Amino acid sequence: MLTELILVVMFIYVIAILLLSIIALKGPTIGDQVLAIDVLTYISLVLFTLLSIYLKQPLLIVLVIPLALWVYSLDIYIAKYLERGDLGA
Amino acid sequence: MVLEVSVILRIIGSALLCLGAFAALVSAIGFHRFKNFYLRLHAATIGSIWGSVYPLVGAALLATTVEELGVYRWFVAGASIVAAFIVLILAPAGSHALARGVHKARVARVKPCIADKLDPELCG
Repeated sequence: MLTELILVVMFIYVIAILLLSIIALKGPTIGDQVLAIDVLTYISLVLFTLLSIYLKQPLLIVLVIPLALWVYSLDIYIAKYLERGDLGA
Repeated sequence: MVLEVSVILRIIGSALLCLGAFAALVSAIGFHRFKNFYLRLHAATIGSIWGSVYPLVGAALLATTVEELGVYRWFVAGASIVAAFIVLILAPAGSHALARGVHKARVARVKPCIADKLDPELCG
C-alpha cells in the first residue's frame, strides 16, 4: 500500500522534473533558467527523500541538505552578477 | 478497533505527499503557461513551498512509521524536517534576490504591462 503510493508520487515528480528541465535548458532569459533550476532542485529533494524511504537506504538522505544550500548560493551569485556586473568576491 | 499512532501518521503523511505531487505538477505546467519572468515567480513559489516543504514534512511523518529502516528512521525524519525548514527560509529569499537582480539589470521586460513605477522603460 505505502510502496505503491510512493511509486505513484515519485512518477509524478519525475514528470514535473522533465517539464521543468525543458525551461531550464532553453528558457527565454537567464532569469527563467535560474528560476527553473531552483524549483527543479527543491522538487528533487522530495524525490531523494522518497527514494531513501522506498529503497530502505538511510544514507541517501545525507545529500538533501547540501543541495538546498547549494541552490540558494546559486541564486545569490546570479543575482549579484546581474546587478553589479561581477561577483565582487 | 484502536486507532494507532502510526496509522494516523501514515494517513497525514500520505495526504501531504499527494498534495505535494499535485502542486509540483501544477508548478511545472505553470512554468510553460505564464508569459514573462515576473509571472513565473508565482509558479516558482507554488513549486517551492507547496511542492517541497509540505511533502518533506509528510515524508518525515511517513519515515517514522517504516519499521524496516530500523533506528535510522529517526535520522531520515530529522533530516527531512531540517531540509523543509531550510527550504522554507531560503526559497523566498533566493527568488526575491533573483527578481531584484533581473529587474535592475533589465534582463526581462514586463510584457503585458499596466504600470512599472520602478523602471518605466521596461514597460511594454
